[in-house]
Amino acid sequence: MPNLVLSDFEPILDKVATKKPSDHRRKTFWRNVFIALVLLFLFMPIIILVVFSFNSSKMNIIFTGFTFEWYGKLFQNENLLEAFRNTILIAVLSTTISTIIGTISAVGLKKYNFFGEKFIGKLIYIPIVIPEIVLGISLLSIFTLFKLELGFFTVLLAHISFSIPFVITSVRSTLYSFSPSIEEAAEDLGASRFETFWYVTLPMIKPGIISGAILAFTLSLDDVVISYFTAGPGTNTLPLYIYSNIKTGITPDVNALTTLMLIFTIVALLISSKIETKNALKRKS
Amino acid sequence: MKNQKIKYSVLLVSIVVFTMLCLIIKNNAPKEKAKTAYLNVLNWTSYIPDDVIADFEKEYNIKVNYGTYSSNEELLAKVSSAANGTYDLIFPSDYMIDLMIYRDMLEPLDSSRLSNFNNINDVFLHQEYDKDNKYSLPFLLATTVLLYDDEKVDHLSSYRDLLKPELKNNVILLDDQRIIIGALLNAEGFNANDTNDNHLEKAYEFYTELKPNIKAFDSDSPKSFFITGEVDVGLIWNAEAILAQDENPNLKISYPAEGFTLSMDNYAIVKNAKNVDAAYDFINFLLRDDICKRIIDEYPYISTNKNIKTVPDNELNEILSRGTYIENVGGDIKKYDKLWARIK
Amino acid sequence: MKNHNHAFSSSSETTQKSPSSSTSIKNNHNQSFSSDSVSSVNSSKLFRKPSGFDGFKIFVTLPVIIYALLLIFAPLVYVFFLSFLKGDNYGSYDYEITIKNYIEAFDPTFLKIFFTSVLIGLITTFICLLISYPFSIFLRDKPEKTRSLIIKLVMVPFLTNSLIRTYGWITLLRKNGVINYSLVSLGIINEPFNLMYNNLGIIIGMVYTLLPFMILPVYSAVSKVDQNLLDAAEDLGAGKLKKFFRVYLPLTLPGAFNGSLMVFIPAIGYFFIADILGGGKSMIIGNLIKNQFLTARNWPLGAALSILLLVMTFGLVKLYQKIGGDLDELGG
Repeated sequence: MPNLVLSDFEPILDKVATKKPSDHRRKTFWRNVFIALVLLFLFMPIIILVVFSFNSSKMNIIFTGFTFEWYGKLFQNENLLEAFRNTILIAVLSTTISTIIGTISAVGLKKYNFFGEKFIGKLIYIPIVIPEIVLGISLLSIFTLFKLELGFFTVLLAHISFSIPFVITSVRSTLYSFSPSIEEAAEDLGASRFETFWYVTLPMIKPGIISGAILAFTLSLDDVVISYFTAGPGTNTLPLYIYSNIKTGITPDVNALTTLMLIFTIVALLISSKIETKNALKRKS
Repeated sequence: MKNQKIKYSVLLVSIVVFTMLCLIIKNNAPKEKAKTAYLNVLNWTSYIPDDVIADFEKEYNIKVNYGTYSSNEELLAKVSSAANGTYDLIFPSDYMIDLMIYRDMLEPLDSSRLSNFNNINDVFLHQEYDKDNKYSLPFLLATTVLLYDDEKVDHLSSYRDLLKPELKNNVILLDDQRIIIGALLNAEGFNANDTNDNHLEKAYEFYTELKPNIKAFDSDSPKSFFITGEVDVGLIWNAEAILAQDENPNLKISYPAEGFTLSMDNYAIVKNAKNVDAAYDFINFLLRDDICKRIIDEYPYISTNKNIKTVPDNELNEILSRGTYIENVGGDIKKYDKLWARIK
Repeated sequence: MKNHNHAFSSSSETTQKSPSSSTSIKNNHNQSFSSDSVSSVNSSKLFRKPSGFDGFKIFVTLPVIIYALLLIFAPLVYVFFLSFLKGDNYGSYDYEITIKNYIEAFDPTFLKIFFTSVLIGLITTFICLLISYPFSIFLRDKPEKTRSLIIKLVMVPFLTNSLIRTYGWITLLRKNGVINYSLVSLGIINEPFNLMYNNLGIIIGMVYTLLPFMILPVYSAVSKVDQNLLDAAEDLGAGKLKKFFRVYLPLTLPGAFNGSLMVFIPAIGYFFIADILGGGKSMIIGNLIKNQFLTARNWPLGAALSILLLVMTFGLVKLYQKIGGDLDELGG
């Protein structure tokens, strides 16, 4: 950023910033406008998406009239429903598996020194930082090498492998926040390592596990790139279904399904803020 | 940090709700009969209507896993990179049949199992790429045509006409390397299968002249560019052109004077396919007159079924005599790959 | 800690990934060798069962070793290996070692795409920064309730399918789309803009899809800047811009770089956005690699391009660590 320009503008800006009440009000106004514009930018396509779910034309191009018909047709579109079910199934399974593996891995990486620990510790960051496409093609290559038939299983495996690192980092952040002496105490009192892990460690890192699992679930739900490379002919996920239909035109039943999902998200949002204020009140009292 | 907290609580609740939604849908979905037979099909986008497939599934109690591709090259890559037996039935075009036979990727067809073989019009059989139809059976004929809006632009009859400066950013081309390079070669007066370096360079020069006029490349649904008014001119598949005409009667079709390419898409069974029986069932089903009719109504390509007249005989003869099939060029395909990469 | 029935609140309390908290965690960890916890850490290693066989150790370390080697290391090594093979243009390859793919990767045709793609990535990142900073700074002064509501709103798009949102942009950006139609009918412009089927369309799509990944880390960094520092700067006569460049920017640099990584890296790989909004005319590195694998059937070349992309990514991550970024905060 050139300093020249910076100092040139400073006097002007300082003048603007002199604190007269009316100036202040105007400033706040423009700030609110900016925030509103950013939000508008983020929501514009979503508004379009919702509006077109009520479009009477099959082509998602021009709005011809209002109808609810797509919300009914949605439940007759077997392919779409199957893709949706696969998506949820893969998300639930991959979240469960990657949460379990990720949690015990985080514990293992913290507690033990083992041969190649540093190396493994570095490896697990790779899926977080590398471009998804590289991860996708590398998994595709290795699956092909091992002659695995591309399908539900390979997509699941791929989702597990990109989710685990997110769970590990999430769990790790909670793992370092309590003292290992608590675990030691449990062991001194005669608990086995497994018992200590189950009754002491796990409850304490539960928040990290939950947030890791939620992250894994969202990532799996919306993944296009990695699924694209690892899915076979019989497996369709919702993102893949949309991707393969995007060129020929998405029918409004997809909009309807996404709108329903959006409504649920917003409801969830409201519920969570209710819970939040409740908790806040509790804490105050 | 507050937002992190909100984020996670929102997500958690969403998960619960999504899962519930999923379960609700599962219960509401019509009870499927247990389908034991499967068929893995890989076909062009916009080629067979969904309801035709659904009817086949119902009639034969076979579950069809239907995948799509937008070019022969994509088809080849998908089939050769997938594990053996991943796909059963595919629909390669002429030159790709030749290449796949050469690469030993296709299973010979058993004519005794093709009960509806006689529905095929003889003029489409015994093509250069598979003389005895040992591996392939013609399904649909696609041609590349010029489509233009008569109201908005002047009459177009040749590739040269596409170079007019007033067509800036107003032309759509198919996203298919052999078809487009073939057209560029035709435009310069060469054969669409030419592999001479100088000729290919000439074709590239034609492309650089054309480039400012190109709005987009699309093979999957070029018609929507016309329907939304995005472009007024295009070099696209015949069926797409006819479908666009249904929406906008001002659109006119013309066959380029310098020549044009033909694509004969065929049924072919992949080597080591697992569901050969189902593949034959599907071929015979698609060869039925009523099914052919339904396909053509939705995607008006030229049907190979002799009982269904998509175009009058004299017009068909003219198309077949003037058009050129794309041929397998063997190792020279690298030249095409390279040129295509330069174009894109 | 009361975890039961307070999953919501506690989950977030402990997952706060503020630089300060995480550094303190790190410090704890490091100090463990000098402070009171030293005994416990060492004891955990001292009390290891003498038999030498530790079932629990195997239970907690074996899965991660298998996972990391089989699903991260092996695939990447295999891609690296592939990149030195000779492609035969028919979707398979000869087992013949060559560096031809790397030479081909530097072909002017590909270099041009690499260059365009990096440029698109940089512009996207820059625009995201340009939006995120004022957004976060303006938001900082808002009351708590407004702030949390707005951050929630920023995250709603996250939870809607990204493809269908990108598809929504077609309706907005078309020649006769919502934006052009409004501008023309308001008399602002005479001729509709070409907003998509070009690089501009790709950039709009990328900024849209990736903006939340920038806003969240930048906002979290900006909201942690000490108000006293800002007041002090103001008292010393610093203007708006000075305050930004001397106080905000240095203090939020790791956050901004975190966001930039999370924007730039996907922006050179998200082929689907280029597919939808680029009209098949503009390619980014993602399309290039995808095509080598799925249409040009030249896996070794695709592998070589991937390895180059990987090297570039690792360089950026090293840079991020150098300016004080924490790997654990990426992607959180």
